[in-house]
Amino acid sequence: MSEISRRDFLKLASAAVLTLSGLLGLDGLFRFLDTQTDPLPPTDFDLGPAGNYPPGSRTLLSDVPALLLHTQAGFSAISLVCTHLGCTVESKPEGFACPCHGSRFDLQGNVTRGPAGKPLISLRTGITSDGKLHLYTN
Amino acid sequence: MRRYFLLAASSALLLALFISALDESRRPKPVALIPTLTGQVEYCLTCHLDLAQISKSHPLQTFGCVLCHGGERLALDANLAHSTMRGGKNPSDFSVVQASCGGATCHSGTPESFSNHIQRATTSIQATYAGAIANIRYTFGAQPDLKARLGIFAVQVPGSTSGITALASFDPARETNPYVKAFGQNCLTCHLSAQPLPGSEYFRFTGCAACHTPTQSADRSNAQQIQSNPIHKLTTAISYTQCDTCHNRGNYDLRTIKFEPRQDLPADRLHDYYQPIAQFTSCEWKLDCVDCHTRTEAMGDGNLYSVKKDIQYIQCKTCHGTLTELPHIRTLTDPNDLAFRLALLNPLVDLKLGDTILVTEKDEPLWNTLVLPDGTYRLVGKATGQVFSFKPVLGSACTQNGIDQSSAYCHTCHAVNR
Repeated sequence: MSEISRRDFLKLASAAVLTLSGLLGLDGLFRFLDTQTDPLPPTDFDLGPAGNYPPGSRTLLSDVPALLLHTQAGFSAISLVCTHLGCTVESKPEGFACPCHGSRFDLQGNVTRGPAGKPLISLRTGITSDGKLHLYTN
Repeated sequence: MRRYFLLAASSALLLALFISALDESRRPKPVALIPTLTGQVEYCLTCHLDLAQISKSHPLQTFGCVLCHGGERLALDANLAHSTMRGGKNPSDFSVVQASCGGATCHSGTPESFSNHIQRATTSIQATYAGAIANIRYTFGAQPDLKARLGIFAVQVPGSTSGITALASFDPARETNPYVKAFGQNCLTCHLSAQPLPGSEYFRFTGCAACHTPTQSADRSNAQQIQSNPIHKLTTAISYTQCDTCHNRGNYDLRTIKFEPRQDLPADRLHDYYQPIAQFTSCEWKLDCVDCHTRTEAMGDGNLYSVKKDIQYIQCKTCHGTLTELPHIRTLTDPNDLAFRLALLNPLVDLKLGDTILVTEKDEPLWNTLVLPDGTYRLVGKATGQVFSFKPVLGSACTQNGIDQSSAYCHTCHAVNR
């Protein structure tokens, strides 16, 4: 078994340490470059086939949040974001109620009790060529 | 020699990179929140995910943390994140309350005047301490009457209808009377901007949190434990024990101008009151202070006053009436009645349109009461949820003159034996 010289050992050790350092550094660099910024909140919600929402249905879309209505006039949606301070209102038989500060809205989203001063926002819906229902919040 | 140096330098580099990677791996994964009201991402939840939501009216998803607390919303280092917080742990401290809790959609300058709590609270005698200052200065000849001239801080209310439109700042150093000076040094621990005395029984925050972030449980044995735990709560269900942190801890001694803490250890609530000769009715020791005393009595009505009695007006007759008059009532016909808002904040009663409640002489709703069909009344304790039934004086065997409402009169017959 051949003995390694001191000079070769130092060369080998230095190379190994530098290689490890390089790998660690590259790992950090890749992770930095791979950083994903937080996505913006979605404004287009794919609700699936429109047929899933029969006429007369009222569907709570908690991730929007909104209430999807299918009436004789077609699809419509009401935002469940309170126009006072942005809390999520709750759907009630007589309309909508904000649990934060007590605002009340009728079934059309009109204010019946403050402190909210504006009606709930109506959201746009649309059906794509492949029959999927979309809801737009922008 | 050069090779030794190269090895040492590369080892140092490796060590630095390793420590950096280790530190990075130990950091929690950032938890982002974009509150509805700000629309700006904040990372406070990275460390504070387990913190209880402060109140139903301030939901996390709507308010986030930074809107009220300040701080560096993007920082992941605790020291940096907390470096610019308003008021330290208490953003409701009156020195920063306008920035933390104010604004036209929150608690100052709102179209609904009843929501302008900051203007009312910061001009109330609980904040200005004007009454105590005026009393002491008058007692020791530093002013000719009891009218308030000085407060803990200077304040102006040009439209004040009380006859006092401004208070200058009380500066004990400018006082010449030694007793007034001593008062300034020893007796300014009770106003809402003051740091409380040491001891769990005195512990409270300043500003709004002094009352709305209860540090004291009704269970006295828990006081120490509650003090040592973080408190993240805003409530209008305020137990009498919270009021007691200022109002039942001892007395000021005018001979020595010092606060004399009570020395006894009360066994129960009836004996918890510090004044040994005082008498109390059932209401005064079974109910919580906030069950009778209204928001404007406690937080002011926006005017400057000299003494407590100028703003505190609830009397026995407010709920019980007199021999000749029933108490004031109101049937709720307006969905925007303040009673509904107050009941929402502390949902103990299910008020409905058409319900009839008691109201004060100033038409403030006692929303936790209900006039029952048989002419009796029901009150639900705001802090306890306990239900109390009571009758009007009219038609009873009471013989008291209706204008005699000071405590001595009612206590003649109704004092609880203790």
